Amino acid sequence: MWIFLLSDAFSFGALLIAEGILYAGHKPWRQPSEPELGIGFTAVLTFILLCTSLTNVLAWAAAAGGRRKQAAQLLAITALGGAVFLVGQFQEWFGIWAPGLLHEGLVFGQSPRASTFYVITGYHGFHVLIGVAYILAILFGYLRGRVTERQIELLGLYWCFVDFVWAFVFSFVYLLPSLSGA
Amino acid sequence: MTDPEIVHPGASSAGHVKAAGERAPYLVAFAVLVALTLVEIGVVKSGGIPHGAAVIALIAIATAKAALIALFYMHLRYETRILKLTVLAPLVAPAVYGLLLMLDAAWRHLR
Repeated sequence: MWIFLLSDAFSFGALLIAEGILYAGHKPWRQPSEPELGIGFTAVLTFILLCTSLTNVLAWAAAAGGRRKQAAQLLAITALGGAVFLVGQFQEWFGIWAPGLLHEGLVFGQSPRASTFYVITGYHGFHVLIGVAYILAILFGYLRGRVTERQIELLGLYWCFVDFVWAFVFSFVYLLPSLSGA
Repeated sequence: MTDPEIVHPGASSAGHVKAAGERAPYLVAFAVLVALTLVEIGVVKSGGIPHGAAVIALIAIATAKAALIALFYMHLRYETRILKLTVLAPLVAPAVYGLLLMLDAAWRHLR
């Protein structure tokens, strides 16, 4: 799992470096017609993702301690948190209860800022989607007695890696470009 | 061949067993991660911090958050030194590339 995660980290690293290269060569970074990114809303999504990392590792601790019911509940909460994150990202992109960035003028292919935003957050969101499916598969296997705590620990490595990467995505995609107001 | 992970691939290491019995480190790590996220938001929203200092602060906080997640939630602190170095060494490469990129951008700006 660590080898896979390292190779995956390289792909995220390449995307973030590509964003940095484009950022350095395009001033202003934000076109006048483009909206600002919702840092407050994304901070809430960040908090949700942090919560799921905690519930995930507590699920593993419960499974290792033989507390099967608690472990299953915590895994379910983790999957739910991941699903909420995805709904939040869908809202941010397309809009559900409020207009999304696409509607507000951040269109893929229109500018380096828009393209890098959708590629990087989309790639991360894809990892979250896979992670939710992975959690549910492990959860159902655990309920049937086919999954050990070792497999839950491996799941935790993947899920927490998603949070690990988000620490950088949040900074490099949302926070750093907004410093200059560009 | 004395490593229990090698002899028994399915077994958890002693450090992992110890970690399973402790909840406090996970909760403390969570509190620190939330606090660091709030500091990040504060750095961006305050507006009174010099641009260069804010950039360094945000990169440092993001790195600290990622390190906390890897060490505590991904149990890297309980792993062997070899695995720690195996994980750390390749992650340094993007950081070096990023640093070179920033130096290049600064040089172009000054030229």
